[in-house]
Amino acid sequence: MDWTAFRLSLWLAAWTLAVLLPLGIVAARWLATTRSRARPWLEALTALPLVLPPTVVGFYLLVAFGARSPLGDAFARAFGAPLAFSFAGLVVASVIVNVPFAVQPLQRAFAAIPAEVREAAQCCGLSRWQAFVRIELPLAWPGVLSAAVLTFAHTLGEFGVVLMVGGSIPGETRTIAIAIYDRVQAFDTGGAGTMALLLVAVSFATVAVAFGLSDRWLARATR
Amino acid sequence: MRRLLAALLVFFASAAAAQGALVAAAANVKFALDDIVAAFGRDTGHTVRVSYGATGTLAQQIENGAPFELFVAADEASIERLAAAGYTRDRGAVYAVGRLALFVPRGSTLAVDATLADLKAALADDRLKRFAIASPEHAPYGRAAQQVMERAGVWDTVRPRLVLGESVAQAMQFAAGGDAQGGLVPLALASAPALRTRGSYVAIPDAMHAPLRQRMALMKRAGAAAIAFEAYLRGPMAREILVRHGYAVP
Amino acid sequence: MTLDLAIRHPVPPLDVDVALPAGEIVAIVGPSGSGKTSLLRAIAGLVVPHEGRIALDGHAWLDTARGIRTPTRARPIGYVSQHYGLFPHLSAIANVAMSLMHLPAGARLERSRACLAQAHVAGLDDRLPRALSGGQQQRVAMARALAREPRLLLLDEPFSSVDRSTRKRLYVELKRLHDELRFTVLLVTHDLDEAAMLATHLCLIQRGRIVQHGRTADVLTRPRSVAAARLLDLPNLFDGVIDERSGTPTLRWGPHRLEIARAERASEPRSTAWTILPTRVLLHRVDRPSRGEHENAVACRVVDMVVLGDDVGVRLAPDGLPETRLHVKLSVHVAERNFLSPGRDVTVSLLRDAIVLLDA
Repeated sequence: MDWTAFRLSLWLAAWTLAVLLPLGIVAARWLATTRSRARPWLEALTALPLVLPPTVVGFYLLVAFGARSPLGDAFARAFGAPLAFSFAGLVVASVIVNVPFAVQPLQRAFAAIPAEVREAAQCCGLSRWQAFVRIELPLAWPGVLSAAVLTFAHTLGEFGVVLMVGGSIPGETRTIAIAIYDRVQAFDTGGAGTMALLLVAVSFATVAVAFGLSDRWLARATR
Repeated sequence: MRRLLAALLVFFASAAAAQGALVAAAANVKFALDDIVAAFGRDTGHTVRVSYGATGTLAQQIENGAPFELFVAADEASIERLAAAGYTRDRGAVYAVGRLALFVPRGSTLAVDATLADLKAALADDRLKRFAIASPEHAPYGRAAQQVMERAGVWDTVRPRLVLGESVAQAMQFAAGGDAQGGLVPLALASAPALRTRGSYVAIPDAMHAPLRQRMALMKRAGAAAIAFEAYLRGPMAREILVRHGYAVP
Repeated sequence: MTLDLAIRHPVPPLDVDVALPAGEIVAIVGPSGSGKTSLLRAIAGLVVPHEGRIALDGHAWLDTARGIRTPTRARPIGYVSQHYGLFPHLSAIANVAMSLMHLPAGARLERSRACLAQAHVAGLDDRLPRALSGGQQQRVAMARALAREPRLLLLDEPFSSVDRSTRKRLYVELKRLHDELRFTVLLVTHDLDEAAMLATHLCLIQRGRIVQHGRTADVLTRPRSVAAARLLDLPNLFDGVIDERSGTPTLRWGPHRLEIARAERASEPRSTAWTILPTRVLLHRVDRPSRGEHENAVACRVVDMVVLGDDVGVRLAPDGLPETRLHVKLSVHVAERNFLSPGRDVTVSLLRDAIVLLDA
């Protein structure tokens, strides 16, 4: 049982959520309400990671911020450590790969808010921030929850991109999915099985708790 | 705001903070190196973290900035290339010479024969559906397997039935998993205790392929623990372990 | 004290230039697609016109020439849209509280409760919109709009999806609130009767343009154009020729010579459209001889009669104009007393002051 790998996976999923949810909400809201002609192109762009194989995405990410790229080079010089093959690099890769899982449910949720309600918020004198927090976000909450659960679960299981961008550095980028693969290759099917079971149990529990909390949250918010 | 930036810096910089030495090693030395790392830990108290993979893949990762301090490769060419590009401290040292084995999973129709005569026969009467080797493009042991089969005159006939593993570890998976009827894999893996119940093996005479000289080298960023481990690998304790696992030592 | 509107916008098309009186209930009436909702949205700031100026009592909310563009949230308005736009996840009291975010939480709740009570929906504080009837939802929406003490209340067909008895009650409540608080109300409706009941000022709108506006009674009885008459659904639209050569202004209608009130000096006869309200056509009593100075008597034949409640709509064919139909509205009582029936000959008077000349 590789507890380090397990903790790493949870940490990666948490960081991905923390970065992607706010960004995703901003992007999804814009996509849901804009009348810009660029919208279909941008929507296609957010769906791109879904269409490409994870290893291809990983390859392009390495090209983008590996040590041989200007981005990676600048990063290494600023922080003294490379971006690729580090946990930070995994977070960046994970955020990019999860964009469709976050943005699509969020966009649908924001688009489902009737224009009449949005306009009523303006006519009540609510500031943009107040309208967003008190009116739009509660109404879009099911979408936020979907996005969070999908992103979290998907990150826990992500393999191809993590392997390409992170290598399999113990304690740094060897997530539980990779650790399971390692165990299998070492013919330690017992160890692999234990970790896999734990992964399934944790994912399941997280989703169940999230949905349960959501009901209670919504009830309180509508009082 | 400033505190957030500081926290971010610490977070990113911790990527460099090593917990002991960080080593990249070819998949074929896995079982041997695990034992050596354990012994090293007992003798010196240092921890060593190892990432196993195909030599070619690991070399690419190093070129892309992977923070390994020591590269234990399966060939010499990879080390020489990295040295020429300026990633290593020096041209390193040969730490072992590897051997191939023919591994046949339990229940397979193939016979364990070092001359590969039965392999030839199995190809002729269609008993052999799939045969596993590591990809000659990525793995030195894959290239050696190709040389062996060319010598035995079966390369052309076996080619369409080959299952290529992206590393020797994956090739071992295919061979022992039962999906293939057999495979040419490193002796060090085939002889591992974990595989005893999975099937049987026989060592291939090393005259049948170019010598599998395995070289290792320290990277420019290597810290004290890595340097100590590299020396340990050349020492008597490590050499004994390597021999036990089927390698020859210089 | 006026609400100045000068708005030009391509899509949806708007071309409006009026000054409406502040502090009154102004009805904006037109068929669907006429631009009345667009006008309301432009005034609210939900649509920003390409060009224009919107100012209430001299305070400009929009002035494209001077670059002034106050956002909706900063305009002192209340808005009740057609389907009310209540926040579905908030209770009635929370909905109203959203208009009061400038108050601290305690005062906010108190004032919300008071507004709901004023709108006659106290006791429904904690109900969600989906648990309210149409009339209750409308009142909550009204309470929410009025909570901010707006200077301009914009209502977009707010009574259209409510049943008749509730509607009557809501009319009374609106009037009472208006009398008390004296804000300006812009009421968009397609129902002329509703406009007649509630508004002191009436605007007729068609294809984004204001066809006529003025005091309600004036607009209803004295349309100024054929377009306005059509919007008012007036049935008696005729063509005639004005002739002033003889000294007294005369309207030639087929074989008939009708005396009219003084028109603009016209040296030459000119043709014009004209109308008369069905309620202003006087029926001569069968048993009494004709009387009065300016009677403009016209002999007709009754074509048909339709009884609608207490009134009967009669269509007459004037002598000499067999294809023309003159619509008259009488009480059933008067029709019976005069033994009206299809085919009978009758005489009517088109009083001089009731004849309205129309621009094209």
